[in-house]
Amino acid sequence: MKPSAEIVKIADKPDLKYVGKNVTRIDAKEKVTAAIKYLDDFEMKGMLHVKLLLSPHANAIVKSIDSKETEAVPGVIKVYTWCNTPEIKYNSAVFYPGQNDLEDEKLFTDHPKYVGDRIAAVVADSEEAAEEGLNRLKVLYEELIPVIDPSEAVKKECETPSGKPLEIHLSCGQFEEIECGTDGLIIVEDEVSTQKIHHAALEPHSCVAYVEPGEIVTILSPCQLIFGVRYIVSKVLNHPLSKVRIIKAPMGGTFGGKQEVILEPICAFIAKDLGRPVKLVLNRKETIISTRTRAATKGKVRTIATGDGRFVGREVDVLTDAGAYMTGSHRVTTAMGKKLFRLYRIPSQTFHGTTVRTNTTPSGACRGYGSPQIHTITEINVDHLAKRLKMDPVELRLKNLVAPFDDDPTGGPSLGNARIIECVNRGAEAFNWKERFSFTPKKGRYKRGVGMACSTHSNGYAGSIYPDFTAMYMRIAEDGSVLVNAGLHELGTGTLTVIAQIVAEVLDVDINKVLVSEGDTLYTPYDVGCVASRVTYVCGSCAKELAEAVLDKFKRLSSIVLEIPYDDLQLANGIVASVSNPAIKLSYGTLIARIGTILQEEVGGYLSYRSVTNPGSYAAHFVEVEVDTLTGLTAITDYLAVHDVGRAINPRMVEGQIYGGVQMGIGMALFEELAYDSRGIPQNASLSRYHVVNAPEMPQVKVMLIEEDEPTGPFGAKSVGEIAAVPVTPAIVNAVNWAIGVSINVLPLTPSRIISALGAL
Amino acid sequence: MVNIEIKINGKIKCIDVNPRMRLIDLLRNLGLTSVKEGCSEGECGTCTVLLDGKAVTSCTVLAFQADGHEVTTVEGLQTNGELDVIQQAFIENDAVQCGFCTPGMIMAVKSLLNENPHPTREDIIVAIEGNLCRCTGYLPIVKAVEQITKESVDLQ
Ligand code: FES
Ligand code: FES
Repeated sequence: MKPSAEIVKIADKPDLKYVGKNVTRIDAKEKVTAAIKYLDDFEMKGMLHVKLLLSPHANAIVKSIDSKETEAVPGVIKVYTWCNTPEIKYNSAVFYPGQNDLEDEKLFTDHPKYVGDRIAAVVADSEEAAEEGLNRLKVLYEELIPVIDPSEAVKKECETPSGKPLEIHLSCGQFEEIECGTDGLIIVEDEVSTQKIHHAALEPHSCVAYVEPGEIVTILSPCQLIFGVRYIVSKVLNHPLSKVRIIKAPMGGTFGGKQEVILEPICAFIAKDLGRPVKLVLNRKETIISTRTRAATKGKVRTIATGDGRFVGREVDVLTDAGAYMTGSHRVTTAMGKKLFRLYRIPSQTFHGTTVRTNTTPSGACRGYGSPQIHTITEINVDHLAKRLKMDPVELRLKNLVAPFDDDPTGGPSLGNARIIECVNRGAEAFNWKERFSFTPKKGRYKRGVGMACSTHSNGYAGSIYPDFTAMYMRIAEDGSVLVNAGLHELGTGTLTVIAQIVAEVLDVDINKVLVSEGDTLYTPYDVGCVASRVTYVCGSCAKELAEAVLDKFKRLSSIVLEIPYDDLQLANGIVASVSNPAIKLSYGTLIARIGTILQEEVGGYLSYRSVTNPGSYAAHFVEVEVDTLTGLTAITDYLAVHDVGRAINPRMVEGQIYGGVQMGIGMALFEELAYDSRGIPQNASLSRYHVVNAPEMPQVKVMLIEEDEPTGPFGAKSVGEIAAVPVTPAIVNAVNWAIGVSINVLPLTPSRIISALGAL
Repeated sequence: MVNIEIKINGKIKCIDVNPRMRLIDLLRNLGLTSVKEGCSEGECGTCTVLLDGKAVTSCTVLAFQADGHEVTTVEGLQTNGELDVIQQAFIENDAVQCGFCTPGMIMAVKSLLNENPHPTREDIIVAIEGNLCRCTGYLPIVKAVEQITKESVDLQ
């Protein structure tokens, strides 16, 4: 049976204390006082410093390396290259045995495949000595011709059997059959390309590693998957998983950039080899050129619709630029395809995705994991169709959007309580869309116009080939404080606060008494990681279910020691009380101590939780832009973000996620592009040349939350962190296209692209 | 080496520095790790400190240039363990996510409020223009500063 009408609305429960409240994030104080130590702030006795030699060529063979002069630099300890490090190949996105993504990356290479590829490392007792040693390395390269354009790469890679591009097909219905008889149907085609983007977390990539007694190789990393890091490090070092310890370090932002395993195996290997602590901190340029980027894509969309605007079929073809190594890029391509079937009801649809390598910085995870790209491609196409049909784009979408509890036509998980129609209806009304939308551009130099876009994103991995489980310990201490021992990753998104809110709510204790841990593979149970927008939904559900079990156990044991029937006990406000006898009132702590003394038992529990559902999160963004048709500059003059979040555990933090997502999306729409010349040299590997949206460019964003409760989410909650960055870019592109009457489909919308589009009119 | 005398967070220090040493390195070497390095070229603002009460990016200032001057970092903001109003307002308005931009952002705001205790929204935005934040979209930061301004007006 489909639960819809009978859902009990969480908002209707008046007695929630922490869930749905703007609880202050628990690490805010240590952040404003700078008491928190990011890895670069971290020192250890005898710590060595590592600097990497990165390839200056996009495709080359290293003929020789002469490290004599380097080794003579005072303070230099050792030089590492492919000659004295493991040859084992790995894929930086793989996080569990059995995942068979193409393994094509090594610690160091003698065949650099992009500018930034790792050739060598110099280890020294000071950063200066490492730097000096690096400058004295003499490397002889033989340059080869690089391939920068992914379309070109598809042809080239096909020539070598081992280098075949990867392909994925997904479909529903009978797209080919519709194609045969399209009489009376409208067909709209678009080609859209999205660019490579630098994550621009303010903290550059960093890693610390050392060896603890018992040959435990310990790594501190501001990462998103401690257990994934452990898996790759164990593989590369051929060292048992139990003796590889990954500790989640404070994280100065990631946005997916620190999701894949990059620096950890190198630091681990060197620390193990030298038996000393090592630290590797990249500078901004190194972070831009040698870590990961958002994958660039080229998409082709063909939508077939009836004259009154019903989608009949759609064909989408996407080419993803993986950069020099396959990394998680093909996963990104696959994720893009899956999103296509979960936003509109399209009876027949086919997706073809291709992932190909080029001689550029490797791509990988980036906030939205393909969602911003695929929605940009398709949502531009929807507006194009609206233009052809002369139909309001909001009206067109409303005719086709999915409804709550629709099925995924490819057999994927149910869409759950999908409230996109409400997002669009309520948003359009609040934005005054009907009055503001115009098919034709206004007169004058400064042209204002509005646009919008819809999108969907996941809540974990359920329904995919990846495991989606997590485990936690929870214990109540003899002073009534609560310890949640979990492999969590605080990325700045407020994860620890959200979990504490959920636990405090269920156990009904003061939230300040709840301590939630971050991950440490030696001491915390398994968690897949902070990926796939899964943490609030999956880990939050685990925390809730475990807290319920612990509460029940607490009540049972209290009943025994107090000799009061279970049903007569009430556990609330940190107090255990008897309903029938108001004289009996004991604090949680007192009772825990009594249980410990009398029954000699710890009040706590362990839960391994598996997620089996994966509803969609939804959003509709509405934007007004003003384009200066003389300079081609675009300003965002009004913005409304409407999100179906199920239930906001912490509304203010949800808003924070949305603001940040909008900011990233504006960058993708208007400013950001990691560009390469024909030789593969990055053209803007610095923050002076790579423009990140700053305060004056940020519009006042209005946020509207649709909170209709996802029945499978903890207290009704769904994900928001990634989807917040998704509808932004297509909404802005659509607004610009309507404002000035063009159809730009190459990102970002730089002044020169806008001017040349205007010139072509 | 040059010998310099600087007042750092209220304490006078005499230090020998390499003439090529940047102020950021001097401060971080002294353990003032609130001063972050996000770009090394004056673009991100994570290394912002106050030089005689005015915000500067310490990655673009040489240590000896601070000779005879006063430097303030986030470590010098708390008085008797009490948070500065800016720190308090950042907490209350959720102006902090990952926290990496936060110390620099706070110093940029401090500089603004030193000069102009009643800034307009425009003034605030201009004051933090050189400080990048990839997490918050700046809006909660602006709101935090507006709250301080409003409270100080209310007090008068
Ligand atoms: S590190 Fe100084 S401005 Fe970025
Ligand atoms: S809070 Fe992360 S960069 Fe500002």
